[in-house]
Amino acid sequence: MLILKYIKELLSKSLPVLLLYYLSFNSFENIKALPNSTLFSFNFHMIIIYFYILKYPEYLGTGHIFLAGIINDVVLGTPLGTSSLSFLAMCLFTSYIRNVTLRAKMTAEWFTFIPAIFFSNLIFFVIVYNFSNLSFYYIELLRNSFFTFLFFPFFYFLFNQYQRRFKED
Amino acid sequence: MSDSRDDFVIALRYSLLKKGAKQKFSLFFLIIFSISIIVLDKLSMSPINFLRGLINDGVYRVSAVAAIPGKGITFLSFKSKEHFNVYNENKILKKKIEEFKLKNFEDIFLLTENQNLKLALGLEKVKIAEEYTIIIAKVLVDQTSPFLKSVLINKGTKYGAVKGMTVFSKNYLIGTVIETNYLSSRILLITDLNSKISAIIQDADVNFILSGNGNKNDFILEYLPEDFVVEPNKIIFTSGKDGFLKAGMPIAKTYLNKNNEVKVKSLADPQQASIVHVTRGQFKN
Repeated sequence: MLILKYIKELLSKSLPVLLLYYLSFNSFENIKALPNSTLFSFNFHMIIIYFYILKYPEYLGTGHIFLAGIINDVVLGTPLGTSSLSFLAMCLFTSYIRNVTLRAKMTAEWFTFIPAIFFSNLIFFVIVYNFSNLSFYYIELLRNSFFTFLFFPFFYFLFNQYQRRFKED
Repeated sequence: MSDSRDDFVIALRYSLLKKGAKQKFSLFFLIIFSISIIVLDKLSMSPINFLRGLINDGVYRVSAVAAIPGKGITFLSFKSKEHFNVYNENKILKKKIEEFKLKNFEDIFLLTENQNLKLALGLEKVKIAEEYTIIIAKVLVDQTSPFLKSVLINKGTKYGAVKGMTVFSKNYLIGTVIETNYLSSRILLITDLNSKISAIIQDADVNFILSGNGNKNDFILEYLPEDFVVEPNKIIFTSGKDGFLKAGMPIAKTYLNKNNEVKVKSLADPQQASIVHVTRGQFKN
């Protein structure tokens, strides 16, 4: 029983890390079973990183974020280190926001997500543009960023509920 | 003014250098490390390429395992849709079988006549598909990212895969090998924005570039003559002018969409490919 309890606790604590690695290995962009799924593609990594670094930094290490970024680059075929740097830029921005925020509000955190996405995507595309021959549609990136921003409150609520329940247990 | 600047610098420095219980590395260290990796990757030295190949092979294998639940869900949804369509399809197929039975008699006659004529002229038999095929590979992971359209296959340099080889699925061209590792390779699909194929169109003497647009039903025809009008229901073939693709391979077809616009769609469905043939440049069946 004790072992089971320990495993449950370990899994609950490591959820963001496991989720991040799973998404990186699976190159998650959208729910593929849905029709027109690519239309609603969003960057789930960004949401997890932003939420956990902002609210519960003790559950998501930056080393894991770095490694997840490397895996994401390998799976997607972008230059090695691009996603890592992009995710770390998101961490830096989020960490800065956490340090300067006095009273946290969901709406304020939602809107500060816009410059965070912008900053992170800017770094991603500057690197891709300068260090590879890949071409991208900027409108796709804009759409992806928009849906990442739009879906944030839903996941904010979901992760918040999960963390509260986990703390109660 | 200087106070607020100091606050900004302090908060930024704290964010960059702080290490907590879970944070074993400072952000500053990891950012520098990431930049070093990007630069080393760009330098493309042989030990780094070897290391990258090893990492790629490892990650691709784990990625293939991680993709199983997602593939399972897609497979189930596809199968359930297929199940509902099967009755109507059965009716249509029964009708078609009757039509084909009638046509079959005509074909048998033509086939016999053709064989007799070939024998009479002493022509060689047509080469079989295996001579053109180098490797038959399985698709490990397919990327439906809005940015990159590529698939990973389970055969690499160990089996003779070389960069630039062409890949076919169900006799139709689906892409080219752009990255090779020891046990795996990456295929850039023809639907990708970075894919450019020199091509010709049926019943016309024009050369152009068939470029991917991220969608298998919406290709772009680049460098067409200004006065040329594309007609629907025409097959697009490779022109062979790029040097590595043989001429005359069918790739795409023009069609009229719902808005009565002429669009170009792929003959193959690259995202549905599960078994692919990696070849020297041509595949015939």
